[in-house]
Amino acid sequence: MLALLRLVIFGFIILTVIYVSISLYSRSVRRRKLLKDWQDTGRPGDKDAYIETGMAQYQHSLRRRLIWLVYIVPITMIAAIIYFTNFM
Amino acid sequence: MGYVKWTIRGLFWLLVIAFLHYTLPQHDVARITDTYEKRVDPGSNAMFWSNADTGEATDVTVRDVFFIQAFRTNDKPMIYRNEDTGWGWPPYFKFDTSNLQAEASDLISKKNDAKPQWVVVRHYGWRNEFLSIYPNAVSVWAVDGPDVRIIPWFKIVFLTVLAALFWAIRVRWMRFRKRRIEPKVDEWTDGWA
Repeated sequence: MLALLRLVIFGFIILTVIYVSISLYSRSVRRRKLLKDWQDTGRPGDKDAYIETGMAQYQHSLRRRLIWLVYIVPITMIAAIIYFTNFM
Repeated sequence: MGYVKWTIRGLFWLLVIAFLHYTLPQHDVARITDTYEKRVDPGSNAMFWSNADTGEATDVTVRDVFFIQAFRTNDKPMIYRNEDTGWGWPPYFKFDTSNLQAEASDLISKKNDAKPQWVVVRHYGWRNEFLSIYPNAVSVWAVDGPDVRIIPWFKIVFLTVLAALFWAIRVRWMRFRKRRIEPKVDEWTDGWA
């Protein structure tokens, strides 16, 4: 059962690295977009406050939750492969 | 200098393609003529044997491996090994080796049979006589005749997704280089001839 443990531990580490990278990248893209929005709409109010409000909205958005697919897709794939290879 | 760059690139892509060719599933139409088990002592070819940790000890040097002997539609022999891959690489998660051996021996059919039984063998890996390595059979199923058409759906989807992923990362990397790295290099090398 050592092999299963190895798969789970290394899989978790690799997927976490991917999750964190995508998460940071997605935040930076959103931040850049908010800055551009702020400039295009005629600079309403304080820049930092505008961006922080936008980022708070992002925190509850579907797009951020979709990054969980980094974990969900591989686990589902493994379950499907186990089923198709051994029980079909 | 251009030659060195292109040679390295060529070697890199050759390695990637060889790796995918070894790992991804392939389908052979074949006629199984025998199934047996044989003692193997993997040596320098050990990386082409799987020896998965599926309950049994993995630190033994000698073990018995199931084999499936077959003839393909071109009348050339092909020998498959039949080993668990378990939780290891490549990720086929195959644990049903003994069941597969039972299915394979149920489909045995010789050349002179009134109606030879053809099967499709899904496998990965390479057959190489010089290294004594065998492709690992993953599943077998009976088909009507030797001229069935198999559409490799999994490979089509997988390679498309892989290419899309590669392209997405490449585009972002090029953009990053243009935006962040090139201005810096220009700044530092400003005034250089």
